[in-house]
Amino acid sequence: MIGRVKNKAMLFSGLGVLLLVVLVCSLAWGQVTVPISATLTVIGQQLHLPGMQGSDISQEYTSVIWHIRMPRTLVGLLVGAALAVSGAVMQGVFGNSLADPGIIGVSSGAALGAVIAIALGMTAKGIFYLPFFALLGALLAVGVTVTLAMRDGKIPVMVLLLAGVAISMLMGALTSGILTFINEYRLREFLFWTVGGLDYRRWEHVYLAAGPVIIGILILFLLARHLNILVLGDQEARSVGVPVAFLRLVLLFVSAVTTATAVCVSGTIGFVGLVVPHIMRLLLGPEHRTLLPACALAGGIFLVACDTLGRLLMPPSEIRVGIMTALLGAPYFLYLLRKAQKGGGLS
Amino acid sequence: MNVTSPIALAAINVGVTIDDKAILRDICFAANSGEFVGIIGPNGAGKSTLLRGLRGMGAITSGTVEVFGRPLHTLGDKQLARSIAYMQQDVNVGFGFNALEVVLAGRYPYLKWWQNEQSEDYEIARKYMAFTGVEALAEKSVQQVSGGERQRILLAKVLAQETPLIFLDEPTASLDLGYQEEIFRHCQVMCQEGKTVLIIAHDIKLAAKFCTRLILLAGGTILADGRPEQVITAKNLEKAYGLHSDVFINKVTGNLDIHTYEAAGTTTRQPSVHVVGGGGTAGNILRLLHERSYNLSGGVFQQGDSDADVAMAFGIQAIVGQPFCIIDKVQARENREKMLAADVTVLSNLYYGQQNLDNLAAAFVAKKVIIIEDTAIEERDFTGGKATKLYRELRTLPQVTVLSSVQFAEQVVTGESL
Repeated sequence: MIGRVKNKAMLFSGLGVLLLVVLVCSLAWGQVTVPISATLTVIGQQLHLPGMQGSDISQEYTSVIWHIRMPRTLVGLLVGAALAVSGAVMQGVFGNSLADPGIIGVSSGAALGAVIAIALGMTAKGIFYLPFFALLGALLAVGVTVTLAMRDGKIPVMVLLLAGVAISMLMGALTSGILTFINEYRLREFLFWTVGGLDYRRWEHVYLAAGPVIIGILILFLLARHLNILVLGDQEARSVGVPVAFLRLVLLFVSAVTTATAVCVSGTIGFVGLVVPHIMRLLLGPEHRTLLPACALAGGIFLVACDTLGRLLMPPSEIRVGIMTALLGAPYFLYLLRKAQKGGGLS
Repeated sequence: MNVTSPIALAAINVGVTIDDKAILRDICFAANSGEFVGIIGPNGAGKSTLLRGLRGMGAITSGTVEVFGRPLHTLGDKQLARSIAYMQQDVNVGFGFNALEVVLAGRYPYLKWWQNEQSEDYEIARKYMAFTGVEALAEKSVQQVSGGERQRILLAKVLAQETPLIFLDEPTASLDLGYQEEIFRHCQVMCQEGKTVLIIAHDIKLAAKFCTRLILLAGGTILADGRPEQVITAKNLEKAYGLHSDVFINKVTGNLDIHTYEAAGTTTRQPSVHVVGGGGTAGNILRLLHERSYNLSGGVFQQGDSDADVAMAFGIQAIVGQPFCIIDKVQARENREKMLAADVTVLSNLYYGQQNLDNLAAAFVAKKVIIIEDTAIEERDFTGGKATKLYRELRTLPQVTVLSSVQFAEQVVTGESL
């Protein structure tokens, strides 16, 4: 067990530095490797920083960095942060460190939405149709799950979990059903979507995701202290005056929207929401006011690092980021499981 | 909060029905500020349901609860949390929150939703952690502390809520004896400061020792309510727990004590027995026979003698004389009358002096005598041979049996008639 870090400021500055390093590397490295200095100059020029305009940078570098890699990296940061923060919140809500947003049907709902958009041929009409449908599907799935679990204004965690499993299976069946009827090239399109990736993300994707993700994360930050109390258990929370059902509903809704937005621009990416919060909790403890910001930073770093690694490992082809996170995340997850078994519990 | 009303908490005809089954009915009581109320009763009596209902955590299906004169349902979540603190049974603190973080949760009802804990809140949390003696554990994960420490951390959390009313649902369950007492002692101090504490207690003796008032719950309703000595009676305990018991003041501890035993299965009337003893020699005999529902009398004991105490604890009629005084005529006559009335007289392994020699002399009138002999009479004779002579004479009589105390106990326990 890694002990709690005594100096939280150090950890955050460490994450900050790591973020910058990962950011620059992800912009500079790839099939076309751009020198670090040139990379920084392009960023400076595009941000209209004084003193940068004079430098002579090739048009190719500018377009690679600013139009191809920058949106990709930013989407990666947003998605990673969204998944990790929502994961931490879900784990808090469910009182189980093995929970993730997929548990209440977010991913399966988004997949259904995506497959419908693909089956109807909407993807050819504009890049926003697929994300929009995915978002719709995710929210529908979460809505149905929560409604099913709610009784007398209460949302018992266990029922929510089971309802989530059932809805996920139902959504999965519908998705598979639709897949059996559609063309092969559409099937391929869907397959690419399910294995989440950040390639070909454009500035439009950044604009689409930035609003909901940033607002969602900020709301979750604001609710962190309340989440702390909720984690102590329903009865404990109620005894100090927490409106438990309302708070749980808000947390579920906000983290579902945040995750759904992330999933709809990147496709489903696993393990970020599971592994990042877990490591951060080991380092920082369960206090969500520090845990959630740390998850946001670390989630972004982890996803962009995975993406960059995926680009570099087997050139000229790329390993999609969803595969990379699973390759790195699954072994760690299994290691945690083994350790939990040795410890005698999965809590 | 309006604290002018002296009644801190009132339950008026409170009832809880779950799935057509009445868990609680007709619960009526009012608790004043400063009262330390212990709620006792057998498993399934509805103690926890009552406490949750009074806190507004479980639905009450009939009646009303008033907190300082205001109906419970008119109070908001946070307002209620500023009036009543509630410590549930078996709190499971996941994710390794440290003690200070848990105690700070008690400050939740005082914070606006966007606020963080202020330095004042930290001071309050630390103050109560010091009070319950867990200050040093502030940075320690609650999962890593001992059961006793955890309960004291949770108690500090409940205190940090700074409420006039405190409800504790079996806070001492599974704690070591020392910790159990400590929790009660902390509560006692809080009540002396004017708070009202309702505690569900499994250990009746502990509750009786510390609480100013007990409420005995059985079968979903209040069986008795009042000062501990009014509530803890053999009759109430039998009704509530189906327990045969004797309630008495333990002279060693000065506290209320309870002796429980399995009732003898006999329905036939047991013979009447008069036990002659003194100086602690009759205690075991009395208890053995009492547990077997024999109709008992005893004498002549001396005041302050443990035999006299045993007789009193079990409600046995006993002839008690003044210490160091020779048995007087009244006592001597009474002693003989009891022997004549009794089916059997048991003479304990008594030590004889001038004062109590008449106990031996009286035994000659008894219909049937059982002499308990563990020590030779010569060693027990402090009368210069008079007792030995009388004793030998008594032993020769046909109505007399001599047994060791072990043999006697066997005979009583196996139910063989005396």
